[in-house]
Amino acid sequence: MPLSAYILPLFILAVIVAGFFKKVPIYGSFVAGVKGSLQLLLSIMPYFTTILIAIELFTASGLGEKLTQVLKPLFTAMGIPAELSQLVILRPLSGNGSIAALQTIIDEYGADSYIARCGSVIVGASETTFYVATIYFSTVKEYKLRYAIPVCLLASLIGAAGGCALCKIM
Amino acid sequence: MVMNAVFFLMLILSLIALTIASPQTAFSVMLNGATDAVELALSLFAVYSVWLSVLEIMDKAGISKAINRLFSPLWKRIFKGESEKATEYISLNFSANLLGMGSAATPMGIKAMEQMSKNREKASDNMILFLVFNATSIQLIPATVIGMRAQAGAADAADIILPSLLATLLSTVSGVILAKACAKMSGILKKGLPLACR
Repeated sequence: MPLSAYILPLFILAVIVAGFFKKVPIYGSFVAGVKGSLQLLLSIMPYFTTILIAIELFTASGLGEKLTQVLKPLFTAMGIPAELSQLVILRPLSGNGSIAALQTIIDEYGADSYIARCGSVIVGASETTFYVATIYFSTVKEYKLRYAIPVCLLASLIGAAGGCALCKIM
Repeated sequence: MVMNAVFFLMLILSLIALTIASPQTAFSVMLNGATDAVELALSLFAVYSVWLSVLEIMDKAGISKAINRLFSPLWKRIFKGESEKATEYISLNFSANLLGMGSAATPMGIKAMEQMSKNREKASDNMILFLVFNATSIQLIPATVIGMRAQAGAADAADIILPSLLATLLSTVSGVILAKACAKMSGILKKGLPLACR
């Protein structure tokens, strides 16, 4: 068993034991936690359902492909291989989608190829930006995202370009 | 507003393209999206239930406070003017992210956002900064990707850890710099306006 497998259960065990000694009602806490989870889900679900419908349409209609073609020159100028353009577009939109795209790339070019390693770094070093943004701001009333999304996207793109450069030397 | 416009454009353009290319699939594609959401909701409910319960105990037993003591000097600098409660959740979110427990980080991050939105006036820039932290992912070990590489027979599946770590650091740092710059810009723009316009 790898050592890291023990971290999670030991952590939860430690919390429960500490709670017991501090006379925290454990059963009541779990009920409250689940109740909170239900409320949280009710408030975030409308947002991510809407987003997922839009993203499914966006990729299935071929619009994502079009956007990829438009942005490809920008990506190659930043040192991101052209083969990874679609992955870079998909990454901030859909977690499952980008995992599937990475799988295709690994299968096609081989796990140890430069392309596949860059792709792995891009997926491993970033997040599903649109999903994170909708979820994090969903329980805040009257949210205005202002400059949030462009900043996140640009920062991820810089990270992706940096990752591709690093893969050349590491 | 922005979200409305983006959503409308995405929807209308995709639907037009789909109607031309394959009208019989358009509706089922939309249903597919919604079905994905239901699946996601179920798994999120499961994960949040466990983590919010653990968090409840951590709060009541004072563990959250203890973890916060480790990081609070840092947060006092980055997220100026936030309450103790808010930095507590920020600390928990940050530690969960570092340890690769993304599923635990989300509910704690949402709670941090709620706390930050309470002192409305100054919160906004801090909230966006916090979002940037989470959207640029601060993760030590990208376990999913390593697993995929191992399965595909990579010579050393974990050899992407270092470049990934550096890339995520780069994106987080540039995100923070960009966000701070935008906050400063919008501050200047606001100050330039006469009081009546605010």
